[in-house]
Amino acid sequence: MIQHPAAVETSSEATPRATILSMQHITKRFPGVVALDDVSFDVYPGEVHALVGENGAGKSTLMNIMSGTYTDYEGQLLLNGEPVKFHNPRDAQNAGIVMIHQELNLVPELTVYENIFLGREHVSFGIVNRGSMRRTAQKLMADLGLDIDPNRPINRLRVGQRQLVEIAKALNLNSRVIIMDEPTSALSEAEVEYLFGVTRALRERNVAVIYISHRLDEIFSIADRITVLRDGRVVGSALTKDMTRRQLINLMVGRNLDVLYPKLDAPIGETVLRVKNLSLRAGRTRILDDISLEVRQGEIVGLAGLMGAGRTQLLETIFGVYPQSQIRGSIWFDGKEMRIKSPKEAIEQGIGLIAEDRKGQSLVLGQTVTENATLAALREFLYFLNIINQPAERKAVSRVVSDLNIKTPSISTMVANLSGGNQQKVVIAKFLMAHIKLFLLDEPTRGIDVGAKAEVYNLIGELAKQGTGFLLVSSELPELLAVSDRIYVLCDGRLTAEFARGEFDQTAIMEAATRFTNGNHDDQPGETGK
Amino acid sequence: MGTTITTSGGSALSQARRTFRQGLGFILRFQSFFGLIIVFVLAVIYSPIRNDTNIFLSERNLSNVARDVAETGILATGQLLVILIGGIDLSVGSVVALTATGTAFLLMRQSSITLPLLGTIDVSPMPAEGAIITILLLGLAIGWWNGWTSERFKIPAFVTTLAMLSIARGLAHIWSDSIAVPISYREGGADPSFEFLRTRLYDNVIPVPALIMFGAGIVMALVLRYTSFGRHLYAIGGNETASRLSGISVTRIKIVAFMLCSFFAAMAGIVHAAQLNQGSPNEAVGYELNAIAAVVIGGASLMGGKGTVVGAIAGAFILGILDNMLSLNNIESNTQLVVKGLLVVGAVALQQFRPRDLT
Repeated sequence: MIQHPAAVETSSEATPRATILSMQHITKRFPGVVALDDVSFDVYPGEVHALVGENGAGKSTLMNIMSGTYTDYEGQLLLNGEPVKFHNPRDAQNAGIVMIHQELNLVPELTVYENIFLGREHVSFGIVNRGSMRRTAQKLMADLGLDIDPNRPINRLRVGQRQLVEIAKALNLNSRVIIMDEPTSALSEAEVEYLFGVTRALRERNVAVIYISHRLDEIFSIADRITVLRDGRVVGSALTKDMTRRQLINLMVGRNLDVLYPKLDAPIGETVLRVKNLSLRAGRTRILDDISLEVRQGEIVGLAGLMGAGRTQLLETIFGVYPQSQIRGSIWFDGKEMRIKSPKEAIEQGIGLIAEDRKGQSLVLGQTVTENATLAALREFLYFLNIINQPAERKAVSRVVSDLNIKTPSISTMVANLSGGNQQKVVIAKFLMAHIKLFLLDEPTRGIDVGAKAEVYNLIGELAKQGTGFLLVSSELPELLAVSDRIYVLCDGRLTAEFARGEFDQTAIMEAATRFTNGNHDDQPGETGK
Repeated sequence: MGTTITTSGGSALSQARRTFRQGLGFILRFQSFFGLIIVFVLAVIYSPIRNDTNIFLSERNLSNVARDVAETGILATGQLLVILIGGIDLSVGSVVALTATGTAFLLMRQSSITLPLLGTIDVSPMPAEGAIITILLLGLAIGWWNGWTSERFKIPAFVTTLAMLSIARGLAHIWSDSIAVPISYREGGADPSFEFLRTRLYDNVIPVPALIMFGAGIVMALVLRYTSFGRHLYAIGGNETASRLSGISVTRIKIVAFMLCSFFAAMAGIVHAAQLNQGSPNEAVGYELNAIAAVVIGGASLMGGKGTVVGAIAGAFILGILDNMLSLNNIESNTQLVVKGLLVVGAVALQQFRPRDLT
């Protein structure tokens, strides 16, 4: 099978079709919580079925039941009309149901083909038959139209390619149902298109794909059918062509969202951050090359660019993550030139970084809301001998929790138990308490649901009103266009364009973001920023 | 996970199951405490009876248990700090040997050092206070080395402290020429005030080492609970990257944790010398494993970020009472080792039963 973006009309019309998998009246309880409440969910072969819902709606729970991770539930699973009960993920895999997780399940040190055959190696006479595995992997790649060398170790592949290897692995299992959980969260636009091509090819092969995503654009371009979960219940299910974007959003959040990403008007003040001719090198390679930009008080400055353009590194350089020896150029903050040598110094000056990976870089998941919220500002709550003034700490945290509308049972709840959106608000709270004048935001709304996104941007708008400056990185261009006052575009470590709010133009931004990636270095127009 | 709260309980069965889980969760949270009670009760039951008195419960025996536990307890308190940051310190046994030897040497032997300009200065024999302070400073220095090498060269603590296990043992042999240094309090011997460390107070019942252990434990428990240093230890163990990006001086705090660990090891070494009336480079082999076992039995996670001083000391008591129980029943020490090993595995396995937190 070759990837075929065609496949205009599938047979998804014919309604009385046999389901490949049918989940009937599933209820799943956790101590004190009903995660799923009488949910029924049908999957047809040759169909891409999108499952959407805010964080905490129960999507993951449903998929974990389907893929055999949770075995303790009420209700019934029918596979090809026959009742089945999976006792572990292996059972489900043998039945042809495979889940591709958000966190990839590949062994980085092993090669592509070793990963594809992990646990089911081809064996002849008790010896692993590498040749046979290589050939099969090669054929699999060719079937999917993938240009990936099966002999390459996984850690030498880009994230997008790894995702595709996962899919190849799933296909090798002769899967009939493939569950993709946020498959595009780490992919560039080109890779997303590629993934869609593969997904369509899968549909041709009569494989059922369950597609979980927060990105509505993707859902409308790939899904045949959409089911919406909210608070553990199915609140709507329809063919994609019968549903509008607005209807979908309303179903997801259960209320009308007039403006998806609100933009509050804030007075623009003095320059708070000025970066001049900043370069960052790692060994011989230049990660950032001669970047100059500025951020003013109350201003939200967007930073557009593809994965690997150096956006994250730019924020981290300003935040003092890299040693001075790798950095050239100057950083001016609050009118003074600074050499910020560590995150500690950055925070003391009033710069906060909200990192890309919320769980890995921002939160101590096993600790409470209070402990996380004051992590960066603990010094403000100390008596002599560094003893923590706990009553004052609790009071301040309670205030910020209610100010930011963080939904948590109490301030001594573990942050691991909060939803993604509320976790992100705890991260924001952490820096608010440290009196931050400039926020560096790296994908602040990744993996959080529509309602929470709006709330996060509202919060950012409110802070901007009070004079805080923002440098915002987001891969979701519509978001960036909606909330930014100005946008800089990075490509390959260089600044390629600057747009004021009046001149925002999605096509021009994409052009600037891909300027050096096609090899047309010479014909760049003269609008380069600054 | 969903967030709908169950309103009307569900079936009686699930209600009962929930109660059971809650009960289990409660017991597991205070695992070390319940473990201590169980071991204590077992020790009482299986104790030999002589002249109608329960030997285990006799004042003398309990006092001995407290004395024997003291060193493990002090070591476990320090070890906990390193384990909290996701590290481990394998060198504490050797550091006990080195510091015990050093203590005995400084109290008993004559030595001098020659400095430029100042000439030759007599260093020892020292008064008790001088020896104790010198040895505690030595502990801090060893800990600094452990922490600094781990952090500066990004070497896992397992390796740097394994190296120190060898270095400290070697230094102990060099310092004493490989022979035990006896401590005597006769004329021309050690400062008699040092003997205080091997006495028992309050009608000859409470051993001084046990008081030192409790003192150290209480201070560290308060530090962990109420100071920014304690809070930062847990944060670093929980997520080092997030801690660094939150402006915590991760490197400095980790080095301080190693320094305190070796400081407590030196404290245990001083107690050890006082108890045995000698300092020998061959002593305290495998003590690091007792300390780690106590910390783990006390509910700490070797991944870091989880554990308490109370748990660590309770763990030390569980090990101590078990040893005592087996000795009273004349079970040979090799069997004790087997039982101890099984106990560690059992305690850690139990932690896996903890009701998983909803994520």
